[in-house]
Amino acid sequence: MKEKDVLAEFPEQQVIVYIEKEDGTYDAIQTGSFISANYIDDFFLKRKNLEKALQEKIEKREINAIGYYMIYEDLTISELAARMGLMKWTVRKHLRPDGFGKISEAALKKYSMVFNVASEEIVSRQSGNRK
Amino acid sequence: MIIENYQHKMAAHCESGSITSLLNYAGMKITEPMVFGISSGIFFGYFHAMKSFAFPTFIVRNKPGQMRKNIEKRTGVKFYTKEFKNQLKGQQALDLLISKGIPAAAQVDFFYLDYVPSWERVHLNVHFIVVIGKDGDVYKVSDSYFPHLVDLPADSMNKGRFAQGNMSPKGFLFYPGYVPESFNYEKAIRRGIKKACFNMLSIPIPFLGIKGIRLFAKKITDWPSIARDTEHLSHEVMKINILLEDQGTGGAGFRFMYATFLQQASEIIDKPELKDLARELMEIGDGWREFSLFAAKLGKNRDLGPEKFQHLSNLLYQRAEKEEDFFKRLSKTIK
Repeated sequence: MKEKDVLAEFPEQQVIVYIEKEDGTYDAIQTGSFISANYIDDFFLKRKNLEKALQEKIEKREINAIGYYMIYEDLTISELAARMGLMKWTVRKHLRPDGFGKISEAALKKYSMVFNVASEEIVSRQSGNRK
Repeated sequence: MIIENYQHKMAAHCESGSITSLLNYAGMKITEPMVFGISSGIFFGYFHAMKSFAFPTFIVRNKPGQMRKNIEKRTGVKFYTKEFKNQLKGQQALDLLISKGIPAAAQVDFFYLDYVPSWERVHLNVHFIVVIGKDGDVYKVSDSYFPHLVDLPADSMNKGRFAQGNMSPKGFLFYPGYVPESFNYEKAIRRGIKKACFNMLSIPIPFLGIKGIRLFAKKITDWPSIARDTEHLSHEVMKINILLEDQGTGGAGFRFMYATFLQQASEIIDKPELKDLARELMEIGDGWREFSLFAAKLGKNRDLGPEKFQHLSNLLYQRAEKEEDFFKRLSKTIK
């Protein structure tokens, strides 16, 4: 791969790529991320649509806010349970649409830490009163 | 305080980059491709259904931590390593190292690093950063994926170091405790290449090495039936490009960096055949890049019909064939 074939303009996300230089030797160059430079808008569009679709599922009581963040952050039940330090069946119980109210305050706090969002945000997402 | 003479440098990959950077700081002159090659970093694995992954995925490098262990075995370097059960003790140990002027690599979950832009953040428990200072409650971090030193609040550092889940970091820290004045490059290079060839050709597990590429080729046509909807499928298909090009591989799923290693190795051990093989691997890497760019385009255009997945599958079968032939010849060359 030649240098000209990998260069991309995206200062917000730089990567190192190994390329073939003019003299035939291989070396590292710093450039912008190709996929972010070309497709970042598409990524944000999909995230926005996913957020909307999941919020609608909460409103239809198909999932609850814990399920929302689990899907949004690409976690499985197994992985979420491991990150929570809980049994899978406990997390499954929490994930039921009617299970949200049964989550203890301590567990909600732990969920907020795992998802890296405030507990209040999880609660307001569940109640649909999100700003 | 900040360890002044530590030189931050971007690298292709976080683990090979951290190891290179720490070894350079300790006085060993070694490049990232050489660390990657000696430690048999190149690999392939496809995971179609695993409890930890929400969608099928693949890896293009050996197991996290293995690079460090292989470098120890093959160069004589001894790394001091430590895991912590207690978060406070883990933080105190890191702070003590900084106060002693010892830069150390920390294993963290990428998701909790505040300086990482939102679109890049994923739960990934095996990211490595080098911590080189602390000012109040903020750590100064050398992260191979960023052009400059970055700041990370202690709270986020602790979240990252003590995240739970698959391959949880457990506060893991490492730094070189002993670095030999010299080592036998030829022996280390040969051992590194032999093990890489074994990993790609001979591990008797159907989803690892060349077998893994073939399994990927076979299973990728099932992806449309696994995805939630078109946008999810598009996202996962575009992630192929991210995993091969963006997520710290040096391009083409580490193939370009391994080619650079082979070129450097050919000079060091005076084996011109390795230079030819390096050129060949660069071309194989071009094929991987063609595959990943094609995937990104399909995802963007939502052009996700069965014939497109069949084409992706065909491209993967071609990669498997080329790499099988390549690693067999590399293995013979190094015998």
